[in-house]
Amino acid sequence: MLTKDLISLIAKTSGQNKKNVEHLLSMTNAIIRENLMAGKAIQLQGLGTLEIKEKQERTIVHPRTGERTFVPRKNQLVFRPVANMKDELKKI
Amino acid sequence: MAENKLSWTELRRALATRAGVSEKEAYLFLNAFQSQLMEALKQDKQVKINGLGTFKLQAVAPRKSVNVSTGEQITIEGYNKIAFVPEAGVKELVEKPAAEGLQPAAAVDPIQKLGAQAEEIVDILGELGQSPDQKPEPVKEPEPEPEKAPEPEPEKAPEPEPAKTPEPVKAPTPEKPKKKYHFLRDTLICVVILLFLLLGGFFFLRHQLSSWINGLVNGTPEQTEVVAEPEEAPAQPSIDFDLKETIEDWYYSAKRWVLGYFEVSEAEVIELADEEDIIAAEVEIEEPEVIEEVAEEEEPVEETTSAPGQYNEWIATEQIAYGSRLAWIAKKHYGNKIYWPYLYDANRDRIVNPSQIPIGTLIRVPKLTPAQLDTTNAYFQQLREEAYSKTR
Repeated sequence: MLTKDLISLIAKTSGQNKKNVEHLLSMTNAIIRENLMAGKAIQLQGLGTLEIKEKQERTIVHPRTGERTFVPRKNQLVFRPVANMKDELKKI
Repeated sequence: MAENKLSWTELRRALATRAGVSEKEAYLFLNAFQSQLMEALKQDKQVKINGLGTFKLQAVAPRKSVNVSTGEQITIEGYNKIAFVPEAGVKELVEKPAAEGLQPAAAVDPIQKLGAQAEEIVDILGELGQSPDQKPEPVKEPEPEPEKAPEPEPEKAPEPEPAKTPEPVKAPTPEKPKKKYHFLRDTLICVVILLFLLLGGFFFLRHQLSSWINGLVNGTPEQTEVVAEPEEAPAQPSIDFDLKETIEDWYYSAKRWVLGYFEVSEAEVIELADEEDIIAAEVEIEEPEVIEEVAEEEEPVEETTSAPGQYNEWIATEQIAYGSRLAWIAKKHYGNKIYWPYLYDANRDRIVNPSQIPIGTLIRVPKLTPAQLDTTNAYFQQLREEAYSKTR
């Protein structure tokens, strides 16, 4: 499902027009991005949390050639579902 | 951790101020967003949100495992999980700070450092007469470990970098900026460019092209000598008959189109039309089953041929069946396809477009004098030109 489908779905449930919803969605995304940049996690109620995890630098070894490669540290955006998500997903 | 998290409420407020809407609207929107995202996930397994990323509902298949303490086989049940893949731009945004600013030791290039270290180690090991392969595995801890290699350790100890590798460490895999392919857009651009190129080439070369085509057409008749078959030529296998017909048709229409396009003088067109027919005559096709002879032999009236447009004597009457053409009938009765315009001429009252005669039309076949059966006949040429013009 693409963004525009989601927009039309949201527009239907919230009773707003699509243009409005599109604007709101893009604004939400902008806010989320900015806060992530500032190092904040984002709570999405009923869904989970978007947060940044630090991945330490490490050296990996190619199992066949024995080659060593250095992987620098980096941040990763991860999504952590809420606790009861697992149960809810079991139902489907 | 609490202040390091943007809560749902905070998000709602920020959204209300940013988008210039009331908090209620923002609330409605976010609630709808939450529920619909979930619904959409359940429905489509995947929801893409532009400017953020993609949420995916993934099924994890059940797998077998072994109970560590008892050793018995157990099955871990399958389950669903929600995965999130950030959009390329967002990912970059998030990863950047770590790669640059936030890293404290970023001032010194870690790879260079490691490389230098590795060389040092190799040198030391060479002094010791040891092969680098016998060196124990690298340790993550920077503290010196005396039991590993007694002599060199102290020198190495102060270095802060943890990974001490015997072989030079390969450069870190460069962060390849993932190219984003806008498939539709790229294809469109390609097509447009191609079109322009083709058109340009076409206009540039059209004079050479037209002369080339003319040369090609004029060059052909030598090999395509007309073999005037006797009447009622044996039926050919119908498979290549179809094929030949089709190719012939294409050839004709393409040529006509090309000629029309280049605006070749009319004289040329006529000349070319001649060749068409000669070539056509070479293709021997007959399908007697299709053409049904209906009536035959009407009583001859007058022997003399009068005005060129009048036909007094009829050889036969043919009924147009599916797939039959005037050219075949002409070949059948006159021995050459080229004389089909006479058929058209004799049946003007029934034929509007000689290439699209309604099935079932009865075509009278006039008897032609030897003078008429001559391609150089002026009336015939005029007739043919007219008949061809009607086919368009």
